[in-house]
Amino acid sequence: MHHDNGIWVSTEDLNKEESFLQAAEKEFSVENMAETDGNWTASRRDFLKLMGFGLGAATLAASCEIPVKKAIPYVTKPDDIVPGVANYFASSFVNGGDYCAVLVKTREGRPIKIEGNTLSSVTSGGTSARAQAQVLSLYDTRRIKTAGTIEEGAVKAMGWADLDNKIKGQLQLGGNVRLITNTIVSPTAKKALAEFMEKYPNSKVVTYDPVSSAALLAANQQCFGVRGIPTYKFGEADVIVSFDADFLGTWISPVEYARDYAAKRKIKSMKGASMSRHYQVEGKMTLTGSNADNRIQIKPSELGAAICTLYNEVAAKLGGSSISAPALNDKAKAALKKVAAELVANQGKSLVISGSNNIMEQVIVNKINDLLGNINQTIDFGTINNLRQGDERDMARLIGEMNAGQVQVAIVWGANPAFELPNAKQFKDAFAKVNTRISFSGTMDETTALCTHAAPANHQLESWGDAEPKTGHYSLIQPTIAPLFDTRQAEHSLLEWADSANLNRQDEQPYYQYLKSHWASELFGSQSKYSTPAAFWDMSLHDGVFEAPAAATTVSFNPGISLNAAAVTQPGSSEVEIAFYETVNIGNGQYAHNPWLQEMPDPLHRTVWGNYLSIPVEWDGVNEINGWKGLNDGDNVEVEVNGQKLTCTVVRTFGQLPGTVAIALGGGRETGGCGVGFGVNVNPWLPVDGGLTQYFAKEAKISDKVGVDKKFACVQYHHTMGVTAMGKEEGAIINADEKTLGNKGFQGALTDRSIIFQVNLNELPELSEKMAEFHQKAKHLNEQTLYPDNTDFYGTGLKWGMYIDLNSCIGCGACQVACVSENNVPVVGKTEVHRHHEMTWLRIDRYFYGDLENPKVVYQPMMCQHCDNAPCENVCPVNATNHSMEGINQMAYNRCIGTRYCANNCPYKVRRFNWLDYTTADTWPANEEQVFWAEGDEKPYYADNLVRMVLNPDVTVRSRGVIEKCSFCIQRIQEGKLTAKQENRAVLDNDVRTACQTACPTGAIVFGNLNNPESEVSKARKEMGPLAYQVLEEINTRPGVEYSAKVHNANEEMFS
Amino acid sequence: MLLKRICWVFSIILLAAVSAHAEPTIEEGKSLFGANCAACHNKNMKDDLTGPALAGVEDRWADFPREDLYKWIRNSQAMVSEGHPRAVELWNTWKPTLMNNFPGLTDEQIESIILYINNPAPPRPPDEKPEGATSGGGGNNMWMFGALALVLALLAFALMRIIDNLRNITRVQRGDAPINRTLAQVLSTKGAVAFMVFALTLIFGYKTVDNATNMGRQQSYQPDQPIAFSHQIHAGVNKIDCQYCHDSARRSKHSLIPGTNTCMNCHSAVKKGTITGTSEITKIFASIGFDPITGQYIPDYENWSEKQIEDLYKKWIGQEYMSANSLSAMNETGRSLVQAEWEGVVKALKNDSNGKIQGPIEWVRVHNLPDHVYFNHAQHVSIGQVECQKCHGPVEEMEVVYQYSTLGMGWCINCHRETDVKFQDNEYYKQYERYHQELKDGKRANVKVADIGGLECQKCHY
Repeated sequence: MHHDNGIWVSTEDLNKEESFLQAAEKEFSVENMAETDGNWTASRRDFLKLMGFGLGAATLAASCEIPVKKAIPYVTKPDDIVPGVANYFASSFVNGGDYCAVLVKTREGRPIKIEGNTLSSVTSGGTSARAQAQVLSLYDTRRIKTAGTIEEGAVKAMGWADLDNKIKGQLQLGGNVRLITNTIVSPTAKKALAEFMEKYPNSKVVTYDPVSSAALLAANQQCFGVRGIPTYKFGEADVIVSFDADFLGTWISPVEYARDYAAKRKIKSMKGASMSRHYQVEGKMTLTGSNADNRIQIKPSELGAAICTLYNEVAAKLGGSSISAPALNDKAKAALKKVAAELVANQGKSLVISGSNNIMEQVIVNKINDLLGNINQTIDFGTINNLRQGDERDMARLIGEMNAGQVQVAIVWGANPAFELPNAKQFKDAFAKVNTRISFSGTMDETTALCTHAAPANHQLESWGDAEPKTGHYSLIQPTIAPLFDTRQAEHSLLEWADSANLNRQDEQPYYQYLKSHWASELFGSQSKYSTPAAFWDMSLHDGVFEAPAAATTVSFNPGISLNAAAVTQPGSSEVEIAFYETVNIGNGQYAHNPWLQEMPDPLHRTVWGNYLSIPVEWDGVNEINGWKGLNDGDNVEVEVNGQKLTCTVVRTFGQLPGTVAIALGGGRETGGCGVGFGVNVNPWLPVDGGLTQYFAKEAKISDKVGVDKKFACVQYHHTMGVTAMGKEEGAIINADEKTLGNKGFQGALTDRSIIFQVNLNELPELSEKMAEFHQKAKHLNEQTLYPDNTDFYGTGLKWGMYIDLNSCIGCGACQVACVSENNVPVVGKTEVHRHHEMTWLRIDRYFYGDLENPKVVYQPMMCQHCDNAPCENVCPVNATNHSMEGINQMAYNRCIGTRYCANNCPYKVRRFNWLDYTTADTWPANEEQVFWAEGDEKPYYADNLVRMVLNPDVTVRSRGVIEKCSFCIQRIQEGKLTAKQENRAVLDNDVRTACQTACPTGAIVFGNLNNPESEVSKARKEMGPLAYQVLEEINTRPGVEYSAKVHNANEEMFS
Repeated sequence: MLLKRICWVFSIILLAAVSAHAEPTIEEGKSLFGANCAACHNKNMKDDLTGPALAGVEDRWADFPREDLYKWIRNSQAMVSEGHPRAVELWNTWKPTLMNNFPGLTDEQIESIILYINNPAPPRPPDEKPEGATSGGGGNNMWMFGALALVLALLAFALMRIIDNLRNITRVQRGDAPINRTLAQVLSTKGAVAFMVFALTLIFGYKTVDNATNMGRQQSYQPDQPIAFSHQIHAGVNKIDCQYCHDSARRSKHSLIPGTNTCMNCHSAVKKGTITGTSEITKIFASIGFDPITGQYIPDYENWSEKQIEDLYKKWIGQEYMSANSLSAMNETGRSLVQAEWEGVVKALKNDSNGKIQGPIEWVRVHNLPDHVYFNHAQHVSIGQVECQKCHGPVEEMEVVYQYSTLGMGWCINCHRETDVKFQDNEYYKQYERYHQELKDGKRANVKVADIGGLECQKCHY
């Protein structure tokens, strides 16, 4: 059932439907303008009226005085701030169990960009989309601005001193105090907590995680006596088997894992190329699964059975006792048998992990690793990963206590149980019985709205703090801006309420001193490099990280553990099962109020602003591919799980096992920010088994179509390029883009377009030959050209170029958010995305290939290719886009008159048009009506001066009516060149690094000077030989970006 | 403090470089003077500044051994406390102004400075024209064009008469009556009207475009500033280096208007202006919180009420008025002067965005680039080594700063076309191998900014 055509993006593409052609034609979707609320029909009279008004307005504007601008210097200029020059501060992004060592870029004292910190051995300079977007949440207009009491979901201001007195009064009554938190990775915060608990002995900390790993922790406790998560060494494993663990996207420490994983899978040279093999056992398609070499499809409830089956296979080969595994589908069973053989052949160099939240399943996984000798090899318990510490069973106990009236004071710190818990309703009822309820939350989330007091904590970019993501790996958090509002660090509040003697209240930043003395007393001794605590502190703060790796320790599997197959999940027998999963952008709703993350398309479904129900696609066995039940993308269905009904919007998903559906967590937030009203809250659907939250339900009832989401926003069909389709009339395969242009028959129209090259590792030499041939052919074709030969023109000085290793790209989207952050790319909102008006300069195209029912995936970051023979440049009537001698396709916004010819003529579809005044750059209020305007706000999102603080002052904020696109981060290029000149030397690779490049956790993007044969990018391209290619090489655009072929290492015999 | 630190750094650097410059020279003296002395001592050597004029310094110290002068420069206060007669005399004249210590200067270097003091820079030769003085030529051209137009018009008129006459001759020969057209009739012919419409459209169109290009431009813009700060005094008379105050120009896109603390480097000593007296400098004190009477910064100035501030500075202004006029008691003129000056302080410092006296001075920005332009001072000042005056004009002659250049795109582009890149001096430009080869082969005389992409859009627009 292999599809002949190689790659595809969707069912319409496969079916070669007319609708697909139409979708492809709708690059700008102009006709949709009329569909929406505004009255856009215009008569000749309207035209004359508007022209008259325009002339009048222009005359008025011309006769006006030029506004007087002020220049306000410092009173006392700080030594370390030079206005116009960025400062970087090492810090950390920590949110519950999400961690990333970062550098914060500040301009004139305000943070505007997050970069990775290469000194950290945990994240090695990589970042995640969530970390990149952190800077926007600092400037959230919905932040709680003052301490006070909470009445009817709003804060009634009260001074901090009054609040402290009131809360201390409550605490001193001696009742039971409970602190509800997500995982806390800060050693100093834990010390502050300890002081608090010492002062109030009746207090207890209750920790849970928004997405639980409690079973893994419990299983490790049982098997190895360590309640912790080991360090998984993906970089040392030749065979990786993941049971539903999305370790590249969301599972525990994805940035770290992705780096290690990709390092093992880079093709460094053609000879003796090797890479790890990755099996993913899952029903829905996760980001990790989409990168796997082989996916073994199971229903969510079969996970236990699959684990037991693998155990039995491995045990049979390595002399373990077998267990009675529950029934598993035959295909998966056969596949796991082959997996077992391969694991056994790679003992000590393999890795088996599971994302399930069933203790016995995790115990069996541990046992498999133990049998394979992976413990202490690829699984290191010497360095514990602290990023997951929570246990939702403690929360259940807390709910019981609260119901019994045993809790007098509850303090919520960084957690949002009223939304995140499956039993949120019980929590809410019980929580109401607590007398004093205090929240540290910076926004009015669901839990805070139920509290009596708000003690809003600073945003992390305004805070001091530290983190210990892994044993011995410390990381500091330092403020990069003074608190914007009257907020106070949570740690400070706790110490204040505990009357701590260690908190010097006279100090300007008391918690800073507290943190510093903690580091001096606890960590200074663990190193010998610095002789004074002050020097140690200064250097640690400078570096952002301090690492004192623990001595290697080994653990052994507890021989007393007996494996009990009855305790694993028993497969369900219903018609449809539903799986719940976390997405890379929204988490379990923690990031729902961040518009950058909401508008970042889901890597796989490419949907934005909400969570959608993935349904399988069906092949009718002849020539039609259809959505299950005949459903289409954007159709609404009613879904009933555990007797609770919700209306969900459907998105058809390849790789979704028939008989299963899946939906992401984190939609349907009720309060707290601009994410309210998008998606549905599925947390109440999550079953609880043995106290542990399960991320699937054995039965879901799904209705037929009940309606349509009129603003269904999925970028899948926007900006498609070079995809073939079949015209209904002529019946022949034609090129969708060429059809759009009406250029049938011209060069390139009917050729096989070169967008993706992919191969399995064993056929690499063949592909190499094939591609060499292809390059020859393209070269020959391109020699017949009217373009002048510019080799000499580009040959002197600098020539910028990029190389993207598709084999390393995992599709995580960090680059996309980094680009938005760096280049002031506006958020346009769901309606506008629905109208194809998304503005992202960098999109990550997702292509399927291989088996229709269980396809493989290639992610391709696509941005302006900076063609030397750029088709866009020729058609601009005002020369607003042209080429620089450094090989950059330049875009002059102030010259652009908005004909959009360039976007039309761009074969890569990377040019974006400002249909509306998205950034409210000009002052006509009429322009503001349709731009992104969060519910309940008084003005458009970008019209708020607080939000505008996030803008990069070196990049123009584009106004309505101009085209924009990737500039290769020209502002960084100019800055890098200036640095080199000032230092009297040539430009080095490190001088210029684009935003997407620095954000990438796997190093998939390399940028630099092509004229320098020693530059990283030149070398990377050369090393790949014929495997490096340009997209649409045959049409002679001569792009500045090269990609490498995607190589999988699939076990080919598995499905034959 | 900052100044002191800078002096220290310079001293240390100079100390390190001492062996190379054992013989005193005027050139060395000039650079040493610029680096160490010029902030307080006048470059013209004749007028006092923060410190005394230095001309004739040798004569004044002639009664004492040369070493005493060295010692004075290295550590003046030590000599004062030792009771050296010349030192005590100087201290009594100039206290409380302290002279900075320069322990790093060697005897030879001090000799170089003295050499320079005795032979300061020769005055500018009279034939050298200041920049921007060529604008008179344009008017002459206009006259020439006018005359030419007149001649051509007469010629056209004469030709028309000739044609008319010839036509009439043929008419007469054919036996028709001649037509004598008046000038008005000639001018109202189809051809003449068409020509005039065409000419008017051309002129009108040209003017429209020309004026439209100038929209938003502010050449010669000279707004009033909250403080009557005179560049002519600071940069012209006192010869303070531009980058002493605008110290970001060499390293940032902005040249930066100096913070009040930079002003205070000198004005903690220079408390009165030569022309404006207390009226302007008091504004600086009121911005940062400096008590000129005690010579101390006010510790909790942020929390002072306006009344407190008013009392302090009124006292200061009044006291200075009385001492200047040798009064023992305040008179009516004095009182109204104090009130007027205080009101000036309030007007300069208190505004909508800052509702109190304390805090930054809001200057009116003179140089505003058009929208969507990225300009980087560092590139031009540090790398291109462009003189500030090239774009900003003779600032050292400006009592009130005005915008000298158009700051229009054509003006930028022209300079990029005409300016040579400092191609040989910077390793960065090594990568332009072809140009270097062409220079070597004599195929190319120079490399203009335009040759390395100086005319490309995204050099300035992104």
